[in-house]
Amino acid sequence: MRETETGGTTTVSTGSTSTGADPETGTKPETGTEPEPETGTEPETVDETAGGAAAPRRGRWHRGLAAVLAVVLLVTGGALFLMGRQLRDTPATSNRALTDGAATTRVAGDVSNALGKVFSYSPQATSVTKESAKQLLAGKALQQYAALFGQVEKQAAEQKLTLTTHVVRAGVTRLGADNAHLLVFLDQVYEREGKAATTAAAQLSVTARLRDGRWQIVDITSR
Amino acid sequence: MARVRTTRNPLVAAAIVLTVAAAGAAGWGGWSRYDAAHDDSAAYAQARDDALAAGEQAVQNMNTLDHAELDEGLDSWEDSTTGDLHKQLVDGREAFVEQIEAAKTVSTATVLSGAVTELDDRAGRAGVMVALRVTVTAPEGEPAVKESRMLGQLTRTADGWKLSALGQAPVGNAAG
Repeated sequence: MRETETGGTTTVSTGSTSTGADPETGTKPETGTEPEPETGTEPETVDETAGGAAAPRRGRWHRGLAAVLAVVLLVTGGALFLMGRQLRDTPATSNRALTDGAATTRVAGDVSNALGKVFSYSPQATSVTKESAKQLLAGKALQQYAALFGQVEKQAAEQKLTLTTHVVRAGVTRLGADNAHLLVFLDQVYEREGKAATTAAAQLSVTARLRDGRWQIVDITSR
Repeated sequence: MARVRTTRNPLVAAAIVLTVAAAGAAGWGGWSRYDAAHDDSAAYAQARDDALAAGEQAVQNMNTLDHAELDEGLDSWEDSTTGDLHKQLVDGREAFVEQIEAAKTVSTATVLSGAVTELDDRAGRAGVMVALRVTVTAPEGEPAVKESRMLGQLTRTADGWKLSALGQAPVGNAAG
């Protein structure tokens, strides 16, 4: 009864063409999964074929070929994919500094602005600086800053000291999805009432983290 | 029709699926490999890292000089540079040798951090900023340690990235 099923013929021949197997023998396509053709096929290929002994042998041969072909294709695909990944996912590409121009400009701008604000103060407006620091700094950087700022406030008031900081150059060393490392060159101008201003150079390594769409400075190391 | 049909054999279905999957995997893998090889941003990222490594090394070389090994030191200066800067070094070498031999100083530099600030991959030009610590030892007195910040321009040559300009990042006139 199985031999007369027409639907079967269709399926088999479709399978046969895609595997490149001989359409004469219906059993071939299964060879793709059959490493040892002899064992799996025997029950189905009841040998009543007109071809007699020749057909099963050819069938086996084709099955083997199809299996090898499928494996070769799989392996090739896998290998090519891995090669592609190796080319694409290098330590270099995981760093988006400069490769993502807009994001690089943005983090450099945000961090420069933040440094300019938190390291600038006047005797009259230390509280303004303190407030902006709470917004712009976080984590370790905020703790360090808070510890330092007590002295700064006192000094600013007593000596009538004004500090103005501006960024000379900021470069992004490393940029990830939500974290960044930067190197920043700063100029700091100290003005004491009644005295000439002095300018000091500072170099900082800065770690920033993206939080709620804003870059916050989480660590500052003097270089 | 004496042939036995294997229509309902799950193995046939599996074989078809496997074959299609294999062909798909090969196609996808091939595309992925091709795409990656032509991925400009990967090449750009690599150029950025190459430029930074070469730039940091060159800046370090240019801040390192031992009066006892002047030739090696100045050769490394010349190897690290190209263009006008290279020409200046070659032209000024003799006078400089006299100066250093008289002063008998030893300078060593350590790069603290560096970043690429601009990169034109096609033109082969890059800008770097480097923070470094330079220790200068004279025959008498304590070694002087100073933090230094430098801006360099790099140009890509057949031998990799080299410095074509180098200077201290200016202090005090960067307002505005």
